[in-house]
Amino acid sequence: MIFNLDDIKGDVKRSADVVIIGSGAGGAPLAKELSGEGYSVILVEEGAKFDREKDFNLNPTQSFMRMYRDAGQTLTLGVPFVLLPLGKTLGGTTTINSGTALRMLRPILKKWHTFHGLSDITEEELNLLYAHLEEYLFVQRADPEVAGPVARTFLAGAQKLGLSSGWLPRNAKECEGYGTCVFGCPSGAKQSMDVSFIPDAVKNGTDVYTCCRAAKITTKGGKATGMTGFFVDPFTGKKTGHKIELEARVVVLSGGAIYTPFFLLRQGGLANSSGQVGRNLEIHPCVQVVSLMDEPMNPPKGIPQSSYVDEFKDEGVTLEGGTVPPEIHALALTGAGNKHAALMSSYPNMGLFGAMISDTDSWGRVVNLPRSGYSPTMLYMLKGEDVRKAKLSTLLMSEIWFAAGARKVFTPFAGHYEISSPRDMKALEQSKVRAADIYAMSAYHPVGTCRMGGDPESSVVKHTCETWDVEDLYICDGSALPTSAGVNPQLTIMAISMRCAGFIDDRLSNKK
Amino acid sequence: MDPFLSKYSEDLMPVFVGDPPALAGFEMDAQIGFIEDFMKAGAAEFKLLYFVCAFNFKLLASLMKLKPWSRLDMSDKQAVANKLFGSRNPLLRSVVVLCGLPLYISYYRRHDVQVPLGFDAKALKDEASLRSVSRDRSLPSK
Repeated sequence: MIFNLDDIKGDVKRSADVVIIGSGAGGAPLAKELSGEGYSVILVEEGAKFDREKDFNLNPTQSFMRMYRDAGQTLTLGVPFVLLPLGKTLGGTTTINSGTALRMLRPILKKWHTFHGLSDITEEELNLLYAHLEEYLFVQRADPEVAGPVARTFLAGAQKLGLSSGWLPRNAKECEGYGTCVFGCPSGAKQSMDVSFIPDAVKNGTDVYTCCRAAKITTKGGKATGMTGFFVDPFTGKKTGHKIELEARVVVLSGGAIYTPFFLLRQGGLANSSGQVGRNLEIHPCVQVVSLMDEPMNPPKGIPQSSYVDEFKDEGVTLEGGTVPPEIHALALTGAGNKHAALMSSYPNMGLFGAMISDTDSWGRVVNLPRSGYSPTMLYMLKGEDVRKAKLSTLLMSEIWFAAGARKVFTPFAGHYEISSPRDMKALEQSKVRAADIYAMSAYHPVGTCRMGGDPESSVVKHTCETWDVEDLYICDGSALPTSAGVNPQLTIMAISMRCAGFIDDRLSNKK
Repeated sequence: MDPFLSKYSEDLMPVFVGDPPALAGFEMDAQIGFIEDFMKAGAAEFKLLYFVCAFNFKLLASLMKLKPWSRLDMSDKQAVANKLFGSRNPLLRSVVVLCGLPLYISYYRRHDVQVPLGFDAKALKDEASLRSVSRDRSLPSK
């Protein structure tokens, strides 16, 4: 059963075999798998459960304010400051992501084996898990007919230049192309956790408490024994006065790569004998190029992220499409006043495409600094090699847009915002750009902050996802991935979660 | 309504959003009401940052044009904002980026502004609902 705030009339005190904190790509598959094995499972989620008819209504700002952490205003501190949107709703970020469902790049797994002592995670095992997930989540390539003109035009440009490109696989069943995946799919076609694993987990007997913030993991004799927390108003964050106290044989932390380390650090550094909790933050910084075309692009129509160009994926650059509604598009265009207004009036003739950079030498960390509210601080510095990739991808997107017939393009680099001729392109190419020159950078897919590894001195969890320090405490979300997956990580997080379910099953069976 | 938020936003709205051709005019109260809600729902420091940036923007505009804010005309204010947007100094640019963010969102989120730009949520929903989509269709292999 799913308990919403209205169902909570007093304090909750219960016990279960497994308590899972967080209902995103890490927590939800675990809940379904373990409840399917007959274990009693309780899943707690800080965000609310929303009604598809009433709340998933193509209203981007409403969605920001209700389904995103800090109304979508989560920024990293550093140069440049980077917007890092995170979901806070049943299903976690999967409810408000683009639905791109890709397998991890092979060289990355090799890196995990070589540098992180994770040879127990084999390619064969992962491929089996990926195949199962792809079937379960109806993963298939985006339908070009539903994709919309922006994606089709951009791909035509890429093909003209002979670049490797195609349609992205997505976990969407019969997608109608509402164009608002990142604000919650209005039809439920996107197989986010709230329409896939969670309903199945509930059918298996899992109880879900929404609007419930975990405060503490209880331990006894070096073992996790449960959690305590309280219910909060999902919009104000204020406590309702009701508490929750759960006893469990196994506790799983699945709050995501930002909130999981924050939670542990707030508990005085639980499971942090390695000192690695919160460190090694990797994200996918993104830059975008907006094009102005002669023909209408109808940017809101179709699947916002449906196509890719991966010609430079070995260099850590993948272009993935994205269209956004006017209020977000306005932020991607620099300038103010009548100049900005004139540009915005061309919105129907504009296309937007983004580049995702696999960071290499940038530096990031989640820390617990005194702040009002319940918010971690994310430090992030974009460094030389990644700035170079940002420039390379900006030039590449500009070239593709021009090949597709753009009149001019708008880049995020100060001093080169508008490019309308080969001379402008050359100027950007030859300029020495700095991280500080990048305007409106956003990032996605945080990972690595409670990394998995073979050495307890340099990692937080074992390959089973159990923490080195606290028995029966598992961490299963993006934070456990030792590095970026090189692609959108949701499928990999789910695969690691399914794998972790097997180890928890073994542990619980042996305990019987 | 927060009087400071009201005053700053009212002053800065035309500077940032300008006068979009063929689009609806400002609905100041409703837009500022939204900004207030947006800030309440957001990061605690965002409102403070907005005030700091708005104050600094006005100060910079006066210094750059050597006139008090009240005597600057709109084109001067917009010129200063555009100059700061183009700056390679990230601190100067942040002043206008953070000022502009809630102002742009508050205006371009309005239904009567979005519809002429082609974002009509209801029409999009109706059109998408009519689309016949079937898993049996052949989809690209790449």
